Amino acid sequence: MEVQTPASPSGFIDQLVVPGDMVLDLTTLSNQTIKLGGGLRQDGDAISVIKAGKLRFSKPNKYWVESSQKRYVPCVEDTVLGIVVDCKADNFLIDIKGPTLAFLPVLAFEGGTRRNIPKFEVGALLYVRVVKANVGVNPELSCTDASGKAAEFGPLKDGYMFETSTGLSRMLLSSPPFPVLEALGKKLSFEIAVGLNGRVWVNASSPSTIILVSNAIMNSESLSGVQQKIMVEKLLQRVQ
Amino acid sequence: MEERADGRTQNQLRPLACSHSILNRAHASASWSQGDSKVLAAVYGPKAGTKKNENPEKACLEVIWKPKTGQIGKLEKEYEMILKRTLQSICILSMNPNTTTSVIIQVVNDDGALLPCAINAACAALVDAGIPLKHLAVAICCCLMESGHVILDPTKLEEQKMKAFTYLVFPNSVLSVLSEGALSVNGEPIEHGIITSVTHGLMSVNDYLRCLERGRAASSKLSAFLRRSLQSQLRNDSSRTA
Repeated sequence: MEVQTPASPSGFIDQLVVPGDMVLDLTTLSNQTIKLGGGLRQDGDAISVIKAGKLRFSKPNKYWVESSQKRYVPCVEDTVLGIVVDCKADNFLIDIKGPTLAFLPVLAFEGGTRRNIPKFEVGALLYVRVVKANVGVNPELSCTDASGKAAEFGPLKDGYMFETSTGLSRMLLSSPPFPVLEALGKKLSFEIAVGLNGRVWVNASSPSTIILVSNAIMNSESLSGVQQKIMVEKLLQRVQ
Repeated sequence: MEERADGRTQNQLRPLACSHSILNRAHASASWSQGDSKVLAAVYGPKAGTKKNENPEKACLEVIWKPKTGQIGKLEKEYEMILKRTLQSICILSMNPNTTTSVIIQVVNDDGALLPCAINAACAALVDAGIPLKHLAVAICCCLMESGHVILDPTKLEEQKMKAFTYLVFPNSVLSVLSEGALSVNGEPIEHGIITSVTHGLMSVNDYLRCLERGRAASSKLSAFLRRSLQSQLRNDSSRTA
Protein backbone atom coordinates (compact mmCIF):
# COMPACT_ATOMS: atom_id res chain seq x y z
CA MET A 1 0.00 0.00 0.00
CA GLU A 2 1.42 3.36 -0.93
CA VAL A 3 0.75 6.24 1.39
CA GLN A 4 0.72 9.82 0.17
CA THR A 5 1.68 12.26 2.89
CA PRO A 6 0.64 15.69 1.53
CA ALA A 7 -2.16 17.27 3.48
CA SER A 8 -4.05 18.17 0.34
CA PRO A 9 -5.23 15.49 -2.06
CA SER A 10 -3.64 17.30 -5.00
CA GLY A 11 -1.47 14.25 -5.58
CA PHE A 12 -4.46 12.33 -6.91
CA ILE A 13 -6.14 15.03 -9.02
CA ASP A 14 -6.11 14.16 -12.75
CA GLN A 15 -4.66 10.74 -12.00
CA LEU A 16 -6.10 7.29 -12.48
CA VAL A 17 -7.84 6.03 -9.35
CA VAL A 18 -9.19 2.51 -8.90
CA PRO A 19 -11.95 1.28 -6.56
CA GLY A 20 -10.68 1.14 -3.01
CA ASP A 21 -8.32 4.13 -3.17
CA MET A 22 -8.82 6.65 -0.37
CA VAL A 23 -8.36 10.05 -1.94
CA LEU A 24 -9.40 12.58 0.66
CA ASP A 25 -8.89 12.70 4.38
CA LEU A 26 -11.73 14.69 5.89
CA THR A 27 -9.93 15.32 9.16
CA THR A 28 -7.17 17.32 7.44
CA LEU A 29 -9.59 19.63 5.67
CA SER A 30 -10.68 22.73 7.51
CA ASN A 31 -14.39 23.18 8.10
CA GLN A 32 -15.56 23.22 4.53
CA THR A 33 -18.34 21.44 2.73
CA ILE A 34 -17.19 19.45 -0.28
CA LYS A 35 -19.45 18.20 -3.04
CA LEU A 36 -18.94 14.66 -4.29
CA GLY A 37 -19.91 13.69 -7.80
CA GLY A 38 -20.09 10.25 -9.40
CA GLY A 39 -17.57 7.60 -8.47
CA LEU A 40 -16.82 8.73 -4.93
CA ARG A 41 -18.37 7.94 -1.58
CA GLN A 42 -17.79 8.76 2.04
CA ASP A 43 -16.24 6.01 4.14
CA GLY A 44 -16.16 7.30 7.69
CA ASP A 45 -13.42 9.91 7.80
CA ALA A 46 -12.21 9.51 4.26
CA ILE A 47 -13.52 9.67 0.74
CA SER A 48 -12.99 6.46 -1.19
CA VAL A 49 -13.29 5.68 -4.88
CA ILE A 50 -15.92 3.26 -6.19
CA LYS A 51 -15.36 3.54 -9.96
CA ALA A 52 -12.11 3.52 -11.89
CA GLY A 53 -11.31 6.69 -13.79
CA LYS A 54 -9.59 10.06 -13.58
CA LEU A 55 -10.15 12.05 -10.41
CA ARG A 56 -11.23 15.60 -11.21
CA PHE A 57 -11.51 18.70 -9.09
CA SER A 58 -13.35 21.92 -9.80
CA LYS A 59 -12.96 24.98 -7.59
CA PRO A 60 -14.11 25.60 -4.98
CA ASN A 61 -15.10 22.20 -3.66
CA LYS A 62 -16.31 19.69 -6.25
CA TYR A 63 -14.67 16.28 -6.69
CA TRP A 64 -15.71 13.55 -9.09
CA VAL A 65 -14.34 10.60 -11.04
CA GLU A 66 -14.53 10.90 -14.81
CA SER A 67 -14.92 7.66 -16.73
CA SER A 68 -16.55 6.46 -19.91
CA GLN A 69 -18.95 3.53 -20.03
CA LYS A 70 -21.56 2.13 -22.36
CA ARG A 71 -24.32 2.38 -19.73
CA TYR A 72 -25.59 5.59 -18.20
CA VAL A 73 -26.04 6.66 -14.57
CA PRO A 74 -29.00 9.08 -14.42
CA CYS A 75 -28.20 12.55 -13.02
CA VAL A 76 -30.53 15.51 -12.53
CA GLU A 77 -30.48 18.19 -15.26
CA ASP A 78 -28.90 15.89 -17.88
CA THR A 79 -30.37 15.96 -21.37
CA VAL A 80 -30.74 12.47 -22.80
CA LEU A 81 -32.24 10.62 -25.74
CA GLY A 82 -34.82 8.09 -24.64
CA ILE A 83 -36.79 5.42 -26.47
CA VAL A 84 -40.44 4.82 -25.60
CA VAL A 85 -41.00 1.31 -24.29
CA ASP A 86 -44.59 1.49 -23.06
CA CYS A 87 -47.46 3.93 -22.51
CA LYS A 88 -49.32 3.86 -19.22
CA ALA A 89 -52.19 6.00 -17.95
CA ASP A 90 -50.00 8.49 -16.11
CA ASN A 91 -46.52 8.00 -17.54
CA PHE A 92 -44.63 6.92 -20.58
CA LEU A 93 -41.96 4.30 -19.80
CA ILE A 94 -38.71 5.37 -21.43
CA ASP A 95 -35.47 3.45 -21.82
CA ILE A 96 -32.48 5.73 -21.20
CA LYS A 97 -29.74 3.06 -20.99
CA GLY A 98 -29.74 3.25 -17.21
CA PRO A 99 -30.23 0.57 -14.56
CA THR A 100 -34.02 1.05 -14.61
CA LEU A 101 -36.64 2.45 -16.97
CA ALA A 102 -37.51 6.12 -16.57
CA PHE A 103 -40.96 7.68 -16.27
CA LEU A 104 -42.12 10.61 -18.43
CA PRO A 105 -45.36 12.04 -17.02
CA VAL A 106 -48.00 12.55 -19.74
CA LEU A 107 -48.45 16.16 -18.64
CA ALA A 108 -44.76 17.11 -18.74
CA PHE A 109 -45.06 18.96 -22.06
CA GLU A 110 -45.52 22.62 -22.85
CA GLY A 111 -49.23 23.38 -22.53
CA GLY A 112 -49.91 19.76 -21.58
CA THR A 113 -53.39 18.99 -20.27
CA ARG A 114 -55.40 15.79 -19.94
CA ARG A 115 -57.08 16.63 -23.25
CA ASN A 116 -54.00 16.89 -25.45
CA ILE A 117 -51.79 14.00 -24.31
CA PRO A 118 -49.27 13.26 -27.09
CA LYS A 119 -49.46 9.83 -28.68
CA PHE A 120 -46.07 8.16 -28.98
CA GLU A 121 -45.55 4.79 -30.60
CA VAL A 122 -43.40 2.18 -28.92
CA GLY A 123 -39.90 2.82 -30.25
CA ALA A 124 -40.22 6.58 -30.69
CA LEU A 125 -37.07 8.59 -29.97
CA LEU A 126 -37.44 11.54 -27.60
CA TYR A 127 -35.07 14.29 -26.47
CA VAL A 128 -35.81 14.73 -22.76
CA ARG A 129 -34.40 16.22 -19.59
CA VAL A 130 -33.88 14.28 -16.34
CA VAL A 131 -35.82 15.89 -13.50
CA LYS A 132 -35.39 13.43 -10.64
CA ALA A 133 -32.77 10.72 -10.21
CA ASN A 134 -32.55 8.98 -6.86
CA VAL A 135 -31.21 5.63 -5.75
CA GLY A 136 -33.77 2.87 -5.89
CA VAL A 137 -36.48 4.94 -7.59
CA ASN A 138 -37.14 5.13 -11.33
CA PRO A 139 -35.82 8.44 -12.74
CA GLU A 140 -38.35 11.03 -13.82
CA LEU A 141 -38.07 12.92 -17.11
CA SER A 142 -39.65 15.98 -18.65
CA CYS A 143 -40.09 17.42 -22.14
CA THR A 144 -39.93 21.02 -20.93
CA ASP A 145 -37.09 23.08 -19.53
CA ALA A 146 -37.12 24.42 -15.98
CA SER A 147 -39.43 27.32 -16.87
CA GLY A 148 -42.03 25.15 -18.63
CA LYS A 149 -41.16 25.98 -22.26
CA ALA A 150 -40.71 23.27 -24.89
CA ALA A 151 -37.14 24.37 -25.77
CA GLU A 152 -36.40 21.73 -28.45
CA PHE A 153 -37.42 18.81 -26.20
CA GLY A 154 -39.82 16.23 -27.61
CA PRO A 155 -39.89 13.61 -30.36
CA LEU A 156 -37.13 13.49 -32.99
CA LYS A 157 -38.50 12.62 -36.42
CA ASP A 158 -36.57 11.03 -39.31
CA GLY A 159 -32.81 10.90 -39.10
CA TYR A 160 -30.63 8.14 -37.68
CA MET A 161 -29.73 7.29 -34.08
CA PHE A 162 -26.61 5.43 -33.00
CA GLU A 163 -25.10 4.55 -29.64
CA THR A 164 -21.74 5.66 -28.30
CA SER A 165 -20.06 5.67 -24.92
CA THR A 166 -20.89 8.33 -22.34
CA GLY A 167 -17.36 9.74 -22.64
CA LEU A 168 -17.76 10.45 -26.35
CA SER A 169 -21.13 12.15 -25.87
CA ARG A 170 -19.59 14.41 -23.21
CA MET A 171 -16.77 15.29 -25.62
CA LEU A 172 -19.32 16.07 -28.37
CA LEU A 173 -21.06 18.52 -26.05
CA SER A 174 -17.90 20.18 -24.77
CA SER A 175 -16.89 23.75 -25.55
CA PRO A 176 -14.69 24.60 -27.46
CA PRO A 177 -16.48 22.48 -30.06
CA PHE A 178 -15.32 18.97 -30.88
CA PRO A 179 -12.93 19.09 -33.87
CA VAL A 180 -14.92 16.52 -35.89
CA LEU A 181 -18.14 18.53 -35.59
CA GLU A 182 -16.35 21.74 -36.51
CA ALA A 183 -14.71 20.20 -39.55
CA LEU A 184 -17.94 18.56 -40.73
CA GLY A 185 -19.96 21.70 -40.11
CA LYS A 186 -17.74 23.73 -42.44
CA LYS A 187 -18.60 21.57 -45.46
CA LEU A 188 -21.92 19.86 -44.73
CA SER A 189 -25.23 20.93 -43.29
CA PHE A 190 -26.82 18.54 -40.81
CA GLU A 191 -28.79 18.50 -37.58
CA ILE A 192 -27.54 16.65 -34.51
CA ALA A 193 -28.88 15.84 -31.04
CA VAL A 194 -26.52 14.40 -28.43
CA GLY A 195 -27.78 12.63 -25.31
CA LEU A 196 -25.49 12.37 -22.30
CA ASN A 197 -26.59 8.75 -22.01
CA GLY A 198 -24.52 7.74 -25.03
CA ARG A 199 -27.04 8.18 -27.84
CA VAL A 200 -26.58 10.50 -30.82
CA TRP A 201 -29.20 11.40 -33.46
CA VAL A 202 -28.20 12.82 -36.85
CA ASN A 203 -30.48 14.21 -39.55
CA ALA A 204 -29.61 15.72 -42.92
CA SER A 205 -31.23 16.18 -46.32
CA SER A 206 -29.54 13.18 -47.95
CA PRO A 207 -28.82 9.70 -46.52
CA SER A 208 -25.18 9.80 -47.65
CA THR A 209 -24.58 12.91 -45.53
CA ILE A 210 -26.16 11.20 -42.52
CA ILE A 211 -23.96 8.13 -42.99
CA LEU A 212 -20.84 10.24 -43.40
CA VAL A 213 -21.48 12.27 -40.25
CA SER A 214 -22.34 9.17 -38.18
CA ASN A 215 -19.23 7.28 -39.29
CA ALA A 216 -17.03 10.30 -38.64
CA ILE A 217 -18.34 10.64 -35.08
CA MET A 218 -18.11 6.92 -34.32
CA ASN A 219 -14.50 6.76 -35.51
CA SER A 220 -13.36 9.83 -33.61
CA GLU A 221 -13.39 8.56 -30.06
CA SER A 222 -9.74 7.70 -29.71
CA LEU A 223 -8.23 10.24 -32.11
CA SER A 224 -6.55 13.51 -31.22
CA GLY A 225 -7.79 16.85 -32.62
CA VAL A 226 -5.39 16.88 -35.56
CA GLN A 227 -6.07 13.23 -36.44
CA GLN A 228 -9.80 13.93 -36.40
CA LYS A 229 -9.45 16.77 -38.91
CA ILE A 230 -7.39 14.55 -41.22
CA MET A 231 -9.95 11.75 -40.97
CA VAL A 232 -12.83 14.10 -41.80
CA GLU A 233 -10.96 15.49 -44.81
CA LYS A 234 -10.35 11.98 -46.14
CA LEU A 235 -14.03 11.07 -45.74
CA LEU A 236 -15.17 14.25 -47.45
CA GLN A 237 -12.75 13.71 -50.35
CA ARG A 238 -14.18 10.29 -50.99
CA VAL A 239 -17.68 11.72 -51.35
CA GLN A 240 -16.92 14.80 -53.39
CA MET B 1 15.04 -25.06 -4.85
CA GLU B 2 13.08 -27.29 -7.16
CA GLU B 3 13.23 -26.69 -10.90
CA ARG B 4 9.84 -26.19 -12.53
CA ALA B 5 9.15 -27.53 -16.01
CA ASP B 6 9.01 -24.11 -17.63
CA GLY B 7 12.05 -22.76 -15.78
CA ARG B 8 10.19 -20.51 -13.34
CA THR B 9 11.14 -20.17 -9.70
CA GLN B 10 8.68 -21.22 -7.03
CA ASN B 11 7.26 -17.75 -6.51
CA GLN B 12 7.26 -16.61 -10.10
CA LEU B 13 3.99 -15.93 -11.93
CA ARG B 14 3.44 -16.55 -15.61
CA PRO B 15 3.29 -13.58 -18.00
CA LEU B 16 0.03 -11.67 -17.46
CA ALA B 17 -2.03 -9.97 -20.14
CA CYS B 18 -5.28 -8.05 -19.76
CA SER B 19 -7.42 -6.20 -22.28
CA HIS B 20 -10.63 -4.24 -21.74
CA SER B 21 -13.70 -3.50 -23.88
CA ILE B 22 -12.96 -6.15 -26.46
CA LEU B 23 -16.53 -7.30 -27.15
CA ASN B 24 -18.74 -5.06 -29.25
CA ARG B 25 -22.19 -5.99 -27.99
CA ALA B 26 -21.47 -6.58 -24.30
CA HIS B 27 -21.81 -3.59 -22.00
CA ALA B 28 -18.29 -4.27 -20.76
CA SER B 29 -15.77 -7.02 -21.23
CA ALA B 30 -12.25 -8.03 -20.31
CA SER B 31 -9.90 -10.84 -21.13
CA TRP B 32 -7.25 -12.06 -18.72
CA SER B 33 -4.49 -14.49 -19.50
CA GLN B 34 -1.87 -16.02 -17.24
CA GLY B 35 0.59 -17.78 -19.49
CA ASP B 36 -1.57 -20.04 -21.65
CA SER B 37 -4.70 -19.94 -19.48
CA LYS B 38 -7.07 -17.40 -20.98
CA VAL B 39 -10.55 -16.37 -19.86
CA LEU B 40 -12.98 -13.88 -21.40
CA ALA B 41 -15.51 -12.13 -19.14
CA ALA B 42 -18.50 -10.09 -20.32
CA VAL B 43 -20.79 -7.96 -18.16
CA TYR B 44 -24.35 -7.00 -19.04
CA GLY B 45 -26.29 -4.54 -16.94
CA PRO B 46 -27.36 -3.33 -14.50
CA LYS B 47 -30.77 -4.20 -15.91
CA ALA B 48 -34.10 -3.70 -14.19
CA GLY B 49 -35.64 -6.50 -12.17
CA THR B 50 -34.27 -9.22 -9.91
CA LYS B 51 -34.78 -12.97 -9.93
CA LYS B 52 -37.48 -14.65 -7.86
CA ASN B 53 -35.75 -15.53 -4.62
CA GLU B 54 -33.38 -12.59 -4.48
CA ASN B 55 -33.68 -9.61 -2.16
CA PRO B 56 -35.14 -6.66 -4.13
CA GLU B 57 -33.46 -4.15 -1.84
CA LYS B 58 -30.05 -5.10 -3.17
CA ALA B 59 -28.53 -5.43 -6.59
CA CYS B 60 -28.42 -9.01 -7.81
CA LEU B 61 -25.40 -10.58 -9.52
CA GLU B 62 -25.72 -13.53 -11.84
CA VAL B 63 -22.76 -15.55 -13.13
CA ILE B 64 -22.80 -17.89 -16.11
CA TRP B 65 -19.77 -20.07 -16.73
CA LYS B 66 -19.23 -21.43 -20.22
CA PRO B 67 -16.58 -24.14 -20.50
CA LYS B 68 -14.38 -24.48 -23.55
CA THR B 69 -15.85 -27.86 -24.52
CA GLY B 70 -18.43 -30.21 -23.17
CA GLN B 71 -21.71 -29.79 -21.37
CA ILE B 72 -22.30 -27.72 -18.28
CA GLY B 73 -22.03 -29.92 -15.21
CA LYS B 74 -21.44 -29.77 -11.47
CA LEU B 75 -17.95 -28.33 -11.73
CA GLU B 76 -19.20 -25.38 -13.74
CA LYS B 77 -22.02 -24.79 -11.26
CA GLU B 78 -19.49 -24.83 -8.43
CA TYR B 79 -17.32 -22.27 -10.20
CA GLU B 80 -20.39 -20.10 -10.80
CA MET B 81 -21.28 -20.21 -7.10
CA ILE B 82 -17.75 -19.33 -5.96
CA LEU B 83 -17.51 -16.48 -8.46
CA LYS B 84 -20.92 -15.14 -7.50
CA ARG B 85 -20.07 -15.04 -3.80
CA THR B 86 -16.67 -13.46 -4.44
CA LEU B 87 -18.02 -10.77 -6.75
CA GLN B 88 -20.96 -10.05 -4.46
CA SER B 89 -18.56 -9.27 -1.65
CA ILE B 90 -16.69 -6.65 -3.67
CA CYS B 91 -19.73 -4.95 -5.24
CA ILE B 92 -21.64 -2.26 -3.40
CA LEU B 93 -25.03 -3.91 -3.62
CA SER B 94 -27.06 -1.08 -2.12
CA MET B 95 -26.34 1.33 -4.96
CA ASN B 96 -28.63 -0.10 -7.64
CA PRO B 97 -31.43 -1.95 -5.83
CA ASN B 98 -33.76 -4.18 -7.79
CA THR B 99 -31.39 -4.62 -10.72
CA THR B 100 -29.53 -7.63 -12.10
CA THR B 101 -26.00 -7.60 -13.45
CA SER B 102 -24.97 -10.66 -15.47
CA VAL B 103 -21.35 -11.76 -15.69
CA ILE B 104 -20.61 -14.34 -18.36
CA ILE B 105 -17.32 -16.20 -18.24
CA GLN B 106 -16.06 -17.97 -21.34
CA VAL B 107 -13.05 -20.24 -20.97
CA VAL B 108 -10.79 -19.76 -23.97
CA ASN B 109 -7.97 -21.99 -22.85
CA ASP B 110 -7.34 -23.94 -19.66
CA ASP B 111 -3.70 -24.39 -18.70
CA GLY B 112 -3.91 -24.46 -14.92
CA ALA B 113 -5.16 -21.92 -12.34
CA LEU B 114 -8.43 -21.48 -14.24
CA LEU B 115 -10.64 -20.18 -11.45
CA PRO B 116 -8.22 -17.43 -10.30
CA CYS B 117 -7.83 -16.39 -13.94
CA ALA B 118 -11.63 -16.16 -14.23
CA ILE B 119 -11.96 -14.16 -11.02
CA ASN B 120 -9.36 -11.67 -12.25
CA ALA B 121 -11.09 -11.38 -15.62
CA ALA B 122 -14.51 -10.89 -14.00
CA CYS B 123 -13.16 -8.17 -11.71
CA ALA B 124 -11.53 -6.36 -14.64
CA ALA B 125 -14.82 -6.57 -16.57
CA LEU B 126 -16.81 -5.16 -13.63
CA VAL B 127 -14.39 -2.22 -13.46
CA ASP B 128 -14.84 -1.68 -17.20
CA ALA B 129 -18.62 -1.66 -16.71
CA GLY B 130 -18.50 1.03 -14.05
CA ILE B 131 -20.30 -1.13 -11.48
CA PRO B 132 -19.67 0.46 -8.03
CA LEU B 133 -17.07 -1.62 -6.20
CA LYS B 134 -15.67 -1.38 -2.68
CA HIS B 135 -12.24 -2.48 -3.88
CA LEU B 136 -10.82 -4.85 -6.48
CA ALA B 137 -10.12 -8.56 -6.07
CA VAL B 138 -6.95 -10.33 -7.18
CA ALA B 139 -6.82 -14.12 -7.23
CA ILE B 140 -3.88 -16.48 -7.09
CA CYS B 141 -3.42 -20.24 -7.01
CA CYS B 142 -0.88 -21.76 -4.62
CA CYS B 143 -0.18 -25.44 -4.63
CA LEU B 144 1.68 -27.86 -2.47
CA MET B 145 3.91 -30.35 -4.25
CA GLU B 146 4.79 -33.85 -3.06
CA SER B 147 8.17 -32.57 -1.90
CA GLY B 148 6.53 -30.07 0.42
CA HIS B 149 7.37 -26.96 -1.63
CA VAL B 150 4.74 -24.30 -2.24
CA ILE B 151 4.58 -23.06 -5.82
CA LEU B 152 2.48 -20.28 -7.33
CA ASP B 153 0.44 -20.22 -10.52
CA PRO B 154 0.76 -23.87 -11.63
CA THR B 155 0.36 -25.05 -15.21
CA LYS B 156 -1.94 -27.95 -16.00
CA LEU B 157 0.89 -30.48 -15.85
CA GLU B 158 2.01 -29.19 -12.45
CA GLU B 159 -1.60 -29.24 -11.22
CA GLN B 160 -1.93 -32.90 -12.06
CA LYS B 161 1.18 -33.83 -10.06
CA MET B 162 0.48 -31.85 -6.91
CA LYS B 163 -0.66 -32.97 -3.49
CA ALA B 164 -3.04 -30.10 -2.68
CA PHE B 165 -3.85 -26.61 -3.90
CA THR B 166 -5.65 -23.53 -2.77
CA TYR B 167 -7.20 -20.62 -4.63
CA LEU B 168 -6.88 -17.37 -2.69
CA VAL B 169 -8.56 -14.06 -3.42
CA PHE B 170 -7.31 -10.88 -1.77
CA PRO B 171 -8.37 -7.22 -1.96
CA ASN B 172 -6.10 -5.06 -4.08
CA SER B 173 -3.39 -2.73 -2.80
CA VAL B 174 -4.79 0.77 -2.50
CA LEU B 175 -3.24 4.19 -2.79
CA SER B 176 -4.27 6.32 0.09
CA VAL B 177 -3.86 9.74 1.63
CA LEU B 178 -4.52 8.32 5.06
CA SER B 179 -1.78 7.02 7.31
CA GLU B 180 -1.23 3.28 7.43
CA GLY B 181 -2.73 2.99 10.88
CA ALA B 182 -6.10 4.33 9.82
CA LEU B 183 -6.48 1.78 7.05
CA SER B 184 -5.66 -1.37 8.92
CA VAL B 185 -8.06 -3.72 10.59
CA ASN B 186 -6.77 -5.20 13.85
CA GLY B 187 -3.23 -4.14 13.07
CA GLU B 188 -3.04 -5.76 9.65
CA PRO B 189 -3.24 -3.85 6.36
CA ILE B 190 -6.40 -4.25 4.31
CA GLU B 191 -4.84 -6.27 1.52
CA HIS B 192 -3.98 -9.06 3.92
CA GLY B 193 -7.66 -9.84 4.24
CA ILE B 194 -8.94 -12.92 2.45
CA ILE B 195 -12.06 -12.62 0.32
CA THR B 196 -12.23 -16.23 -0.81
CA SER B 197 -10.23 -19.37 -0.13
CA VAL B 198 -10.92 -22.69 -1.85
CA THR B 199 -8.79 -25.69 -1.02
CA HIS B 200 -8.55 -29.15 -2.55
CA GLY B 201 -6.49 -32.04 -1.31
CA LEU B 202 -4.76 -32.66 1.95
CA MET B 203 -2.55 -29.98 3.49
CA SER B 204 -1.49 -29.23 7.05
CA VAL B 205 -2.32 -25.94 8.77
CA ASN B 206 1.31 -24.81 8.53
CA ASP B 207 1.35 -25.49 4.80
CA TYR B 208 -1.86 -23.49 4.41
CA LEU B 209 -0.34 -20.56 6.29
CA ARG B 210 2.75 -20.73 4.06
CA CYS B 211 0.48 -20.65 0.99
CA LEU B 212 -1.28 -17.59 2.44
CA GLU B 213 2.02 -15.81 2.93
CA ARG B 214 3.22 -16.48 -0.61
CA GLY B 215 -0.17 -15.58 -2.02
CA ARG B 216 -0.20 -12.22 -0.24
CA ALA B 217 3.23 -11.34 -1.58
CA ALA B 218 2.16 -12.18 -5.12
CA SER B 219 -1.16 -10.32 -4.85
CA SER B 220 0.61 -6.97 -4.69
CA LYS B 221 2.24 -7.70 -8.07
CA LEU B 222 -1.16 -8.60 -9.53
CA SER B 223 -2.67 -5.38 -8.11
CA ALA B 224 0.07 -3.30 -9.68
CA PHE B 225 -0.44 -5.04 -13.03
CA LEU B 226 -4.20 -4.43 -12.95
CA ARG B 227 -3.65 -0.76 -12.14
CA ARG B 228 -1.17 -0.40 -15.05
CA SER B 229 -3.55 -2.05 -17.49
CA LEU B 230 -6.37 0.30 -16.41
CA GLN B 231 -3.98 3.22 -16.85
CA SER B 232 -3.21 2.29 -20.44
CA GLN B 233 -6.92 1.78 -21.12
CA LEU B 234 -7.62 5.26 -19.75
CA ARG B 235 -4.91 6.73 -21.92
CA ASN B 236 -6.34 5.00 -25.03
CA ASP B 237 -9.81 6.36 -24.36
CA SER B 238 -8.83 9.95 -23.87
CA SER B 239 -5.79 10.49 -26.03
CA ARG B 240 -7.00 13.99 -26.87
CA THR B 241 -5.85 16.74 -24.57
CA ALA B 242 -8.88 18.40 -23.03
